[in-house]
Amino acid sequence: MNLFGMINQSGSAMQAERMRAEVVAANMANAETTRTAAGTPYRRQHVVFAEGSGDTSFASRMGASLPGFASPVLQGSSDSDLAPGVHIAAVVQDTAPPLKRYDPGHPDADAEGYVSYPDINPLTEMVDLMGATRAYGLNASAVQAEKSMITSALEIAK
Amino acid sequence: MKIVTPLSEELARFLDLNTRQIQLTTANMANIDTPGYRALGMDFEGEMQRAMNAIDSEQSLPEPEVVNEDGLIVRPDGNNVSMDREGLNLAEAQLRFKVGVTLLKGQYSDIMNAIHADAK
Repeated sequence: MNLFGMINQSGSAMQAERMRAEVVAANMANAETTRTAAGTPYRRQHVVFAEGSGDTSFASRMGASLPGFASPVLQGSSDSDLAPGVHIAAVVQDTAPPLKRYDPGHPDADAEGYVSYPDINPLTEMVDLMGATRAYGLNASAVQAEKSMITSALEIAK
Repeated sequence: MKIVTPLSEELARFLDLNTRQIQLTTANMANIDTPGYRALGMDFEGEMQRAMNAIDSEQSLPEPEVVNEDGLIVRPDGNNVSMDREGLNLAEAQLRFKVGVTLLKGQYSDIMNAIHADAK
């Protein structure tokens, strides 16, 4: 029963939600970017969440495939049947085609006079940001609860 | 020398089970945005009953069983964790933990009173 391990779990979730919020902020900031470093219009990015710690070391893979191998020294003290938190598996770019607007005077206009803008809907991004914020707050309150439990467990000894 | 009162073993198990419940709840909260994740839970009353039976019959305590929670709505991305339900479970388990700690402290202060009885 590892009380301190729970803080790591909630911490990983807070990290993942914060990264999601950062990706949303990058999308909103680049909503009108027609020219990135590669010369193409900006493509909307989004994150993929996955269970587990994203740890690709040999020790963690061995621990996952052999139930009896859970060595506390190699893996840290984590329960073998609960996923140790969450991590961002990948930041993927949207494959949707860019939005074309007719503007022949624009320096990035193509041969027909169309400029390609990223297809970013501010409402979608704001809703995503609200979801990330609420999930972040939820996990922050979980950390508070865990801290309070450890503190009250100390009370036994007083 | 082991100092036990009638309740201290059961209270210790009560605290362990509450810790386990909070672990499951925080695991669910951490995975609220993971596609395809199913909420985990345990039958608290059943596990407590099993623990009390094991203590009565002097057996070793069984490991609590973790099951997939049913009756939850599954969202389009395959996740069925409810933010409000997990928040309530967290608050409840935390308060139960504090109750357990207070009762355990009471047990030990009774023992201390008995030890210091002749000082009065």
